[in-house]
Amino acid sequence: MNNIRETLTECFSLVFPELPKDRIPSASIDNVKEWDSVAQINLLTVIGERFGIEIDYLAFVGASSFEAIASQLAETI
Amino acid sequence: MRLTEALRINQQPAPSNGKRRNVILPCGFTPLHLQTLLKAHLRIRFPEDDTEVAIGLFGDLEGNLARAINQPADGALVPIEWSDVDERLGVRSSAGWSERILEDIVQQGSEKLQRLASSLVALTKQMPVAVIGPTLPLPPLSYLPPSQIGAFELRLRANLLEFLNAICGTGGLRLASDSALALRSPVAARHDVKFDLVAGFPYSVAHADAVAAVGVECLFPPAPKKGLITDVDDTLWSGILGDVGIEGVSWCLDQHSQIYAVYQQLLASLAESGVLVGIASKNDPQLLKQALGRTDLLLREQHVFPVEASWSAKSEAVGRILQAWNIGADAVVFVDDSPMELAEVGEKYPAMECLRFPSDDPAGALELVYKLRQRFGKSEVRDEDRIRLQSLRQQAFLQNEQSTEAPADFLARLQAKLTFDFSRQGTDSRAFELVNKTNQFNLNGRRYTESDWAAYFQRPGAFLLTASYEDRFGPLGKIAVLLGRSRTDEVDIDAWVMSCRAFSRHIEFQTLLQIFRRFGASRLSFAFQKTDRNGPLQEFFAQFAPELPERDLVVSARTFDATSPQLFHEVIQRADNEQHS
Repeated sequence: MNNIRETLTECFSLVFPELPKDRIPSASIDNVKEWDSVAQINLLTVIGERFGIEIDYLAFVGASSFEAIASQLAETI
Repeated sequence: MRLTEALRINQQPAPSNGKRRNVILPCGFTPLHLQTLLKAHLRIRFPEDDTEVAIGLFGDLEGNLARAINQPADGALVPIEWSDVDERLGVRSSAGWSERILEDIVQQGSEKLQRLASSLVALTKQMPVAVIGPTLPLPPLSYLPPSQIGAFELRLRANLLEFLNAICGTGGLRLASDSALALRSPVAARHDVKFDLVAGFPYSVAHADAVAAVGVECLFPPAPKKGLITDVDDTLWSGILGDVGIEGVSWCLDQHSQIYAVYQQLLASLAESGVLVGIASKNDPQLLKQALGRTDLLLREQHVFPVEASWSAKSEAVGRILQAWNIGADAVVFVDDSPMELAEVGEKYPAMECLRFPSDDPAGALELVYKLRQRFGKSEVRDEDRIRLQSLRQQAFLQNEQSTEAPADFLARLQAKLTFDFSRQGTDSRAFELVNKTNQFNLNGRRYTESDWAAYFQRPGAFLLTASYEDRFGPLGKIAVLLGRSRTDEVDIDAWVMSCRAFSRHIEFQTLLQIFRRFGASRLSFAFQKTDRNGPLQEFFAQFAPELPERDLVVSARTFDATSPQLFHEVIQRADNEQHS
């Protein structure tokens, strides 16, 4: 799980470069203003590339926070 | 390139002193990853620039093109998919695939393509435009099995070809090659159906990367190389001339040496498009001359200048060729089958690209042919390109004659004719090219993007002067370009270049004389800047100002008259379709 969180943090840094690293674990669609539908797709694509998995975008529709995505990934991988 | 890598590239801070480069991506679908990947490819292409990619509105390609016309930018990449021709040709449509609807699609699509053609041509007046597509397969709309093509798809494709043919050849518009795209992006892996349905973005990441890469190459092609120096034995032909004799070398199917014929045809084609082709060979000069005279050689004698044959080091022969061409090593490619010769030349000229002709590998040789076309490819071939080699030969002959008599006598006998064209518009692509590639006789070394160039002519009093030259040795074509702005009593000169082929004919004096006369100016104000390479221009200016400043120079009419030598040119002035001798 730690590895997942570490790699996921890198993904967030790439898609939200303005977001300070210490704020990433608590990041959600409500407190990151750049997190719109385009950013969501970018984020999921980068996650797919970094984890080497095929992302089912529809399965991640409700995953709108760092924690939610991390949990979903833990179930997927 | 993957999205992760593109994001990393885009996050690198742009150099603080870089130019701002704006590119418009006016596509009809959600640009999503294409925008990110396009920006990354632009950052790679222009590492010194701060790049931005502007996008349009979803589903409105026509409107996006219309809005782009009023947006200042350095270029536009326009991907067109079938769904832009008619949205019913995409998988997001639910309009039905009945015969009546298909008929309507053909009809409406044809009209839409005509409107797109007009918009694209209008956009090219503002900026360079690259058009790519359609890149995605059509959905299986007709009753035919997908392995067959029928009247519906043929009519659609005919309309598309008519559209592409109509815009092809428009100045400033480049069409991306299907084949180049197919090499990078297999058709079956292009469409991301899930993305298309979820987000309106139809491309897989890999396909978006290929579209961005090909688009940038089309929109901002690298400056083509100017000269190619080739070896002959086991490169231009199969066999060692000194061993097998003139009739023993071959380039044909019978002798299993056809790949050399392919290479010869490429060289001939390059020469005809204005590339300088020279030969550097370790051979007996007389024997080589006879071999090059074989009537079945596909690279004809008129395609090659000079031929350097000797037993000395290849780099020495290459040096003499560079001197005859008067161009830098960085503009030249050297081809030889011997790794040793390539290394020797490469060591002497590190800026020169040295490529091995793989004489034992026809597939590798064909790959080399593609690579050379890539290095030397150009969007158009102008008259100046066609006569370049001929005028270099004349230059060599002229220098030989010139050394035997007094310069003034020689110039008086040249029967030189100079044609000056004055224009208030910057539509002359040869002028744009000359300003951007000339180094030696160059006022300040400044390069212009196509949008800088267009913007210059919006300035008050801006004009373009081009000079074409010919004498009893033949034409040199358009050899000088000057950009200036006229004021009441003065002319500001912002760019001035002259091809090195035109040196030693006093064309520079005649050019300034024409400026003084045409505008009745009492002085010319030059935006001069010393550069590492504009020595010939500095030498010319030193005649007016022995203490030449680092930048900016003013030359009065009185100083000019006192300095100018006697001029013997017959002068023709043209402006606004008028002609004055």
